[in-house]
Amino acid sequence: MQVEMSRRRFLQGGVAMSVVGGTTFSATNLFASHEESHGSVPTTITTKTSTGEAKEVPILCGMCVNKCAAFARVEDGVITKLNPNPYFPKSRNMLCPRGNAGIQTTYDPDRLKYPMIRIGKRGDGKYKRVTWDEAYDAIVNGTDKFKGLKQILDEEKDNRATVGYANGEGLSKEGFEVLIGQKMGTPNYVDEVSICLETAGGGFFSTIGTYPEIDFEHADYQIIAGANRAEAIITPDTMDMFKYTKGRGLKTICIDPRFTNTAAKSDKWLPINPGTDLAFVLALTWVVFKENLQNEKFMEKHGVGYEEYKQHILSHKYTPEWAEPICGIKAKEIYTIAREFMDAESPIYYPGRRSVFSPNDYQLRRAMAIFQALSGNMDKKGGYIFGNRGLLPAEYVKQPIYENTKERFDTEGIAFPTLKSGSWIVFRNMVLEGKNPYPVRAMLMRKHNPMMSVPNTTKTRAFLEKMDLNVVIDILPTDTAMLADVILPEASYLERMSPVKSYGFLEPSVVMRKAAIEPLFETKTPEVIFKELGEKLSKPLFEVSKKHDVALQELIKEKGEKVAFEEGGYNLAEPFEKPIEERNEEVITEVFGKKAWETINEKGVYYPHMEEYHKQLSPNDFQYYPKNKRKYTSRGDSLKIVCKNDSLTSGGIDAMPTWDDAWKFSVPKGEFRLITGRHAQFTQSGTQNNMMLRDLIPTNFVWINQREADKMGIKFGEKVEIKSDIGAIVLKAYPTEKIAPNQIFLLHGFGSESNGMEFAYGNGGNDATIIKDDIEPMYGASVMHSTNCKIRKV
Amino acid sequence: MARYGMALDYKNCINCKACEVACKEENGVELGAEKHRIWVGGNNPDGQWPLLDIASAAFMPSQCQHCEDAPCQEVCPTNATYYDENHVVRVDSDKCILCSYCMNACPYDARYVDDRTMTVDKCTFCSDTRLARGETTTACQNTCPTKVRTFGDLDDPNSEISELLRTRDHFSLKAHLGTNPKLFYLT
Repeated sequence: MQVEMSRRRFLQGGVAMSVVGGTTFSATNLFASHEESHGSVPTTITTKTSTGEAKEVPILCGMCVNKCAAFARVEDGVITKLNPNPYFPKSRNMLCPRGNAGIQTTYDPDRLKYPMIRIGKRGDGKYKRVTWDEAYDAIVNGTDKFKGLKQILDEEKDNRATVGYANGEGLSKEGFEVLIGQKMGTPNYVDEVSICLETAGGGFFSTIGTYPEIDFEHADYQIIAGANRAEAIITPDTMDMFKYTKGRGLKTICIDPRFTNTAAKSDKWLPINPGTDLAFVLALTWVVFKENLQNEKFMEKHGVGYEEYKQHILSHKYTPEWAEPICGIKAKEIYTIAREFMDAESPIYYPGRRSVFSPNDYQLRRAMAIFQALSGNMDKKGGYIFGNRGLLPAEYVKQPIYENTKERFDTEGIAFPTLKSGSWIVFRNMVLEGKNPYPVRAMLMRKHNPMMSVPNTTKTRAFLEKMDLNVVIDILPTDTAMLADVILPEASYLERMSPVKSYGFLEPSVVMRKAAIEPLFETKTPEVIFKELGEKLSKPLFEVSKKHDVALQELIKEKGEKVAFEEGGYNLAEPFEKPIEERNEEVITEVFGKKAWETINEKGVYYPHMEEYHKQLSPNDFQYYPKNKRKYTSRGDSLKIVCKNDSLTSGGIDAMPTWDDAWKFSVPKGEFRLITGRHAQFTQSGTQNNMMLRDLIPTNFVWINQREADKMGIKFGEKVEIKSDIGAIVLKAYPTEKIAPNQIFLLHGFGSESNGMEFAYGNGGNDATIIKDDIEPMYGASVMHSTNCKIRKV
Repeated sequence: MARYGMALDYKNCINCKACEVACKEENGVELGAEKHRIWVGGNNPDGQWPLLDIASAAFMPSQCQHCEDAPCQEVCPTNATYYDENHVVRVDSDKCILCSYCMNACPYDARYVDDRTMTVDKCTFCSDTRLARGETTTACQNTCPTKVRTFGDLDDPNSEISELLRTRDHFSLKAHLGTNPKLFYLT
């Protein structure tokens, strides 16, 4: 790839950065690979804030899922700093390291800058810079290298399900779902849910009716198991939790195979065998029932199948002695924790949002929720909080009906398939294995990088290579983008206003992200892309429907084509016709009035009585709602704790959490169980090219037990090969006693193969290439901790 | 005129390094893993898996201690290191000749070389950025998720930091060296 200019020059300090607005990159430098300066660290890309004029624009962070509120300091058109926004209850006036480093994402020299279409072979990186119109035209009509949607859908007789789509988490995700799912009409959608926390959400929802918020301010004891809030930051949990740990009111028991930063903040750390948390919770529950420690009155009132659950636990003899060899936690510790928990005034079994680690995760979440309920510390101060619902109403979309569109098929091996976002692994694998009842011929992917996020990259690549058309909308040339036929460059989160978003629970509010700067290069905001793509697709795809859809043909006969098009909802751009600024103003004004719009426009946050409630208490502390205005209790008598759920058995799922010895932890001699996790300085594969964060986490080291490393002669920083049944990667070693002798840990989100990203390219290893594509039985969500690996020094 | 110091409720620290990034972005600190004005220190826990000593794995945020009796200032041959009107230890890059005496003299390892200016750089308490704009917090304090830091005027009896130091037990790093740091670690 041709090199146009060095990173150093591009980034030369201060306000010179404003030149990135357009003219500094030539057409040939499509991915700006900067081979000339490869591997070097630029001398400066930070801009010192000045004492002069600056705009403060309210934004919402887009570096991870939390959506913390901040103000962007903009000097002469350049974002020089992001500061926490003290008005948003959820983010508690803070920005984490990733939030602070967001500037580097926007000004990343490797950004996708122009629309591009593939002119070479898939994966060889040969693209042509085109105009937006040409790119849209290629999506609709194809080129000499690939087919367009019109031809594909015509060949498939308007079965819209032959086009799949994907979108990772974010504020504009819903818009893409509306455009491609509801308006264009395909049910085949996959997203981050089935490779993330599906069973955690599902388990809690089906047991207590919500995924709760925690009132750490009034809690006094917590078990945090398989969750790492010091490193996998979740707001407001992280900020609230660690104020009270270390002898300051919240006794903390950390259960984790690894000694994490959360373990370092706990009173007790107990390493557990991976995948055996369910046995631990069942044993805690056994102690409670055996010693009659539960809040019987609460359970009698709210429990469903409570007595049967009690008998179930007692009759299965889930004793601590039974659990000890399974979990690797001493029985006497389990007795102590169960007693301390039930003895505490406001104990919390932390719900622990995270990826699915083991096949029993759904039942684990059910057992955790029920165990919490046994204390009665639920729907009240200091406990699990159900709180308020969000403050905004749902929007209505006029959805066309496509008669020839088939249902989604990714249900193999799944008890209760989720219709909306399905199972990435089952969807992909069924297509690869030819088990799909109709072809899937295109993938439209936005802000999603399945090449690194879905276990078994070899299969993901084969799946994407099978497509007639891949479209990627993103901000960086990810590994997935490199398999695209059409690439649409999106504005980063600091360059766009996003749809308003409301949060509920204890301190509800509505937040809005404004654009700190105009979109750089030729990038466009997602909502503009949705509108334009919708406009380009509407008529050609309507023609396809006209040809194949009998119901539409009749409608046209009856009402005429124009009316059928409009009333039938075939104008795909219709939900996006009003610019996002107008839509936001309309919805806020409609729900809360004109003054609320002024407030949110200036402060980025609004909630009723904000002026009255919001107070600065000290240089570090704010009050968002006075305590007497927080809804600690909202379910009351209607709260149900579903201990036994008979409807689950129709799918072959136990009605009550039950241990199966197949889940016992074992690793063949000479092998290691691979476990994954997070650091506070990285978000999945999305931050891997961020130079600021790279200074903090230069690569993904493999953690290996110190004594094992000594035996194998592996020293810190030496390269080792990690090989599983499906692939191998080479990483630098980090020998440590923070991990068990039969386990290894590595950080997700490294090892990009896209040479379009200078810093990410070839740095570390991509765990998705070695993690097996196992699924759990409830939703077909991917199980991350079932892979054994061999290690050798290279 | 003030006498600025900082109190650190270090038990809150989760080693996320938000402070380090905020500092770099605010003050235009050079990129590079070795280039930082502030950092979080931490040790691997003592012991062997599964018996590890949690207390030995505490996180200790650190930086220039803005000593009342700063060895770096004493050894500087060109008076590049000086106390500003608010008792903040500063470096005048025009006077710095990069002899690195100060780097060797500092017991806290708080100084590094800025390769762009070829001078020694260190924490300024955001004197020429945030404080110069009339703000009352440093970038590190403002961004901290768990609110470890409280910055303020030690001479003002009504300041939050004065109140904290009156009511909370605290210690200084390497107090035996007689440097009289103006960073205070709350216990």
